[in-house]
Amino acid sequence: MSSPKVGFYGFTGCAGDQLMVLNCEDRLVDLFGATEILSFAMAKSDNHDGELDVAFVEGSISTEEQLEHLKDIRKRSKMLVAIGTCACWGGPQAMKLEEGGYEERYKKVYGNASIELSKAFEAQPVDAFVKVEMKIPGCPIDKTEFLSAVTKVVAGRHPYLYKFPVCTECKWKENPCILTEGKFCAGPLTKAGCGAVCPSHNIPCVGCWGPTDDLNVSAEYNLLREKGYDVDEIVKKIKKFGGAGVAKMVKELSAKKEAKK
Amino acid sequence: MILKMKKEDLSAFLESAKEWGELWGPTRKGDKVAFEKVDALSQMDLKATRTIIPPKKFLYPPRFTMFDFDDGGYVERTGEVPNRILFGIHPCDTHGIQTMDKMFLEEYKDPYYAERREKTLLLGHSCIPDEKCMCSATDTEFIAEGFDLFFTDLKMFYLVWVGSSRGHDLVQMRPELFNRDIGKDDIINYTEYRSWKSSQFTSKVDFTGMPDIFELGYNSPVWDELAEKCLSCGQCTMVCPTCNCYNVVDEVELGTIDGTRDRFWDSCMFREYSVVAGGHNFRDRRADRLKLWYTHKLQAYIGEFGEPACVGCGRCVATCPVDINVVSVSKALKEQEVGK
Repeated sequence: MSSPKVGFYGFTGCAGDQLMVLNCEDRLVDLFGATEILSFAMAKSDNHDGELDVAFVEGSISTEEQLEHLKDIRKRSKMLVAIGTCACWGGPQAMKLEEGGYEERYKKVYGNASIELSKAFEAQPVDAFVKVEMKIPGCPIDKTEFLSAVTKVVAGRHPYLYKFPVCTECKWKENPCILTEGKFCAGPLTKAGCGAVCPSHNIPCVGCWGPTDDLNVSAEYNLLREKGYDVDEIVKKIKKFGGAGVAKMVKELSAKKEAKK
Repeated sequence: MILKMKKEDLSAFLESAKEWGELWGPTRKGDKVAFEKVDALSQMDLKATRTIIPPKKFLYPPRFTMFDFDDGGYVERTGEVPNRILFGIHPCDTHGIQTMDKMFLEEYKDPYYAERREKTLLLGHSCIPDEKCMCSATDTEFIAEGFDLFFTDLKMFYLVWVGSSRGHDLVQMRPELFNRDIGKDDIINYTEYRSWKSSQFTSKVDFTGMPDIFELGYNSPVWDELAEKCLSCGQCTMVCPTCNCYNVVDEVELGTIDGTRDRFWDSCMFREYSVVAGGHNFRDRRADRLKLWYTHKLQAYIGEFGEPACVGCGRCVATCPVDINVVSVSKALKEQEVGK
């Protein structure tokens, strides 16, 4: 049996997820050995397009040019895996989703300068445009979680990623709950997989793994309001990494609160 | 058998007991109390009321590998567990371990739990309840069995219950530290201690009649109100001494079929938990999941075993960020109103 053909692609993001793939060090040889990597611009020079078994896509989509490229990748791939929170949920650049005002924000940054490159638009996750078979979030992705998933994907098995929130891993590490101490912790809204790194160092979770399977945004919002946090701050922090995974929920929640007033 | 020991002799006794295995006890780092490996009694905080995670973590770790496999078969990861002496286990947690034993050692014996249980000695210690403790309501504030040794602190000395032959073996390592010289005053002392401990509870929770209340409130809107508050974070299940659900996954090496089969704590509070093949979810609604957990603890388990699956340790009270716990839920069901 020939090795599965794979490609790694990066769009709007910091390239940190591709870097994490390269950072797999002791397992990198295995990864290159178990697959035939047709394209990985960050890692090698002779990259070419072709039919793929699996395409790994990092970054959100924010220009027409990227969108064309993404569609081409999708056409050539049996399976498309979004890697990193930007590709999965849009990333911080998608934190204003559902709020409108893209034109004004664009003007604030670029003024009236005419941009010759591709036309830009509000950044969105990959699955806003094409079918995505699997999401491996993280900012950046976790080596262990990535390798565990990739191993199964290339073997044609069914990968398993934690669906529960950070709080579960946080309890496994026997940390006290910092939400009960009144700190703004996004743990309950955030998918596990990071090993609860931040709360284990008494730093509240910022939500960088993106939304968990079954989040209760309204409960977290109400709790933080009770703890004295400002509405804008709550919305901003929840949307920072939640992107497309929370944008609609936050909008509905804000509308409900407005209607109550 | 109940023996007597001078309090100043405990340290020397534990030092000798270490010959049997590693010594673990409750230690404090800031607000955090956890069972940690220690060298001596002086590193323990015996006044601490509760650890964040109950001692179930020793018998059934949050995530562990059961066995390694390759194309030739599988090899169990047994034999790697050290002998451990857990000192300072409170009555509630000892009751919790007895519940775990029922799950994992009776009808279907779990080899991984059984090995760890076999290699663990439980040395209990008496405790003073705080405002979150409700073991008086679950009838678990005292313990008569399930430990190897149990130390009741009677200020001037310890009364030491010997609960197993292994506990007796430990006593035999330093027989000169124990005596059976129990007099009239000691009995009065102990009787007074029991009533004093019972008088220390401030929690007003009363679980009497809960099975009926759960039955009556099965379709109560209270469940939906609680679900609106619930973060589905799963912390309650992780910290509960009687929660024992787990998930199993295989981790495979790249490019091979070699791998490990791992097991980790799961929770019925998660939506994923009750999804079955074909995609149907028996408890897709958060309210149904909350109802399952609480009826299991305070109704269904009583029907099956004659006692609640709550040992009154207060960990759900200490942990839940939105105040959903056995106290607030039973109150909400009784009063048909979710407290603020």
